[in-house]
Amino acid sequence: MRLMLQVRDGEAAAFEQLVLRYQTRLVNVLEHLVGNRDQAEDLTQEVFLRVYRARKHYRVEAKFSTWLFTIANNLASNALRSRQRRREVNLQPRDSGATSARPLDLIIQASSGQMPARQLDKAEMRDIVRMAVGELNERQRMAVLLSKFEGMSYADIAETMDLSPQAIKSLLSRARVNLREVLEPYFQHGRRPAAENGRNETSDFRE
Amino acid sequence: MSDQAANADPSVEQQLVAYLDGELDAEASRQIEELLATDPRLREHLQCLDHTWELLSELDTSQVAEQFTHSTLEMVTSAAVEEAEHGRREAPRRRRRNWLLAGGGLAAAAVAGFLAVALLRPDPNRQLLRDLPVLEKLDQYREIDDLGFLRALRDEVLFAEEQSDGKQ
Repeated sequence: MRLMLQVRDGEAAAFEQLVLRYQTRLVNVLEHLVGNRDQAEDLTQEVFLRVYRARKHYRVEAKFSTWLFTIANNLASNALRSRQRRREVNLQPRDSGATSARPLDLIIQASSGQMPARQLDKAEMRDIVRMAVGELNERQRMAVLLSKFEGMSYADIAETMDLSPQAIKSLLSRARVNLREVLEPYFQHGRRPAAENGRNETSDFRE
Repeated sequence: MSDQAANADPSVEQQLVAYLDGELDAEASRQIEELLATDPRLREHLQCLDHTWELLSELDTSQVAEQFTHSTLEMVTSAAVEEAEHGRREAPRRRRRNWLLAGGGLAAAAVAGFLAVALLRPDPNRQLLRDLPVLEKLDQYREIDDLGFLRALRDEVLFAEEQSDGKQ
């Protein structure tokens, strides 16, 4: 906050410090939110640009990280909505015979021919966790990322996402149950589940 | 391992997650702890939730490249330069606008002042109009010293043909 007040008063060096302090955090949260590193970096730069342009309006009583991630959340939401609209325009006809499985299910299917008791390596686990997070809806994902990686309280997350603390409590609860359902077979034994115990393709995440 | 009881009750689920996140007050925490102490399935469920949460640490949290920082600062510097240029271009216009506003404000104040004085200052002509009936008969009234005497004359209705409106 002190840094942001210095930025508000026109100190260029303070702005550089802000960028260095928050850039990695922003890029990582945005990457997991939008699912693309390049886009996450573009959005991060846009966040800093908006912070600079709005510097004179920064209020002392506002927590800087909440303000910062509110801007990030809005930009990410806009980006995801644009992507969704483009996807709707570019719809490909579905092959009725092919599976409509989610990416996570495809990973499971691809490995079903391998030895069922194979130990997962770190990279695989990371992919699985990333996919599981990607399967959450946008709001659940943002709440999870802010809680896990920014250590924000429910009140701060609520302010960032313009929701009530009770709504955040409900969002995080559903998100964590969804994640547990997906990841439980993996951490039970640190192994990929056997093919015959594979997940149901049509199971729906709780919204 | 699935805990149907906990899954079926969203409020318990929410309380468990909030408990893990340290968001419950003392009383709510105590209630959850009591539940956990008596229900092994709930304890197992809590452990699963916690373990899942820990797995999120597997997600990438890589540092950004130095080049990214440079390009971010360059971008913001360009925006700052553009802002300064815009401000310089706008300055004469702003000054003119400020002068016009000041002039307009002064004119408005002058008009308001004039109107206030005109409305609030006593009008000597109005005073004269009010006193006209007296002035018309001033010579006669000068002959009588006592106002009470005039009132008495009025009450005696000696001059009944003269009504208050002067009609005969």
